[in-house]
Amino acid sequence: MKKPKLVYTTFIRSTPKKTWDAISKPEFTRRYWGGMTNVSDWKKGSKWEHHNPENEVWITGKVVESIPAKRLVLTWADPDDLKDKSRVTFEIEPMADMICLTVTHDRFQAGSKMTGKVSRGWPRVLSSLKTFLETGKGLNIFCRG
Amino acid sequence: MQKSTFIYVTYIRTTPKKLWQALTQPKFTRQYFFNTTQESEWKKGAPWWLRKPDGGVCDSGEVLEIDPPRRLVLKWRNELMPKLRAEGYSRMTCEIEKQGASVKLTIVHEMDKAGSKFIESVSEGWPPILSSLKSLLETGESLEETRRWPKGM
Repeated sequence: MKKPKLVYTTFIRSTPKKTWDAISKPEFTRRYWGGMTNVSDWKKGSKWEHHNPENEVWITGKVVESIPAKRLVLTWADPDDLKDKSRVTFEIEPMADMICLTVTHDRFQAGSKMTGKVSRGWPRVLSSLKTFLETGKGLNIFCRG
Repeated sequence: MQKSTFIYVTYIRTTPKKLWQALTQPKFTRQYFFNTTQESEWKKGAPWWLRKPDGGVCDSGEVLEIDPPRRLVLKWRNELMPKLRAEGYSRMTCEIEKQGASVKLTIVHEMDKAGSKFIESVSEGWPPILSSLKSLLETGESLEETRRWPKGM
């Protein structure tokens, strides 16, 4: 059985630094990621956490690789189910008047409960990130219909 | 049945009607779809062509289903590259769903064969095209690199 792998590519009229800051700095992330924040010092080996607006930890993991404004690789797990671990890679490629952001979510465990959630979640979050960087305001990512 | 499938989902701050217009009308597609235009009567069974700026055909097909501004299904074959043309007709499904102040756009592009080079090719093309469409609808400006037909094609 082929292991699931999610790859999402989007092109954004922004700079590598602004894109990196939007992913890594809470003052930006909460404005497009439904009030959520990513908390870490973003150094290789450090812990990272995804917090809800009440500072509860929804996702946790480690920083595997970190090249600011270029590449970030994180492990990813629900703190209530740490064995169901996967990996997320953000790659930022500068182009003429835009950047290419590729997010890869892979290395899922067999029977992972994450795959469905993240395959629905990443297009929402990354669409909202693009709207935030290009217009100053994110989308309502938890809206349904 | 072995299949090759590409799926892309994006959320755009616009209305279903504006998105439908941007997907089908030449004055919009020129700005984000490499300066191409589509020619069709936009009825079930009608032929469909995607044309380069010089009027030449790059892709051809047929409207299989149409329900503006919600759903469009096209039969779609590449006409420019012999190896891609030889794979025959793919199926492109475009679905538009209102989600509050935004719209969810889902593109499913599939070919009834494993390892389709055509699907591999459109998998590279759709992300910049759809990103540029989103920029156009949200900011009034498409992404510069998608405004011109690639040189030498």
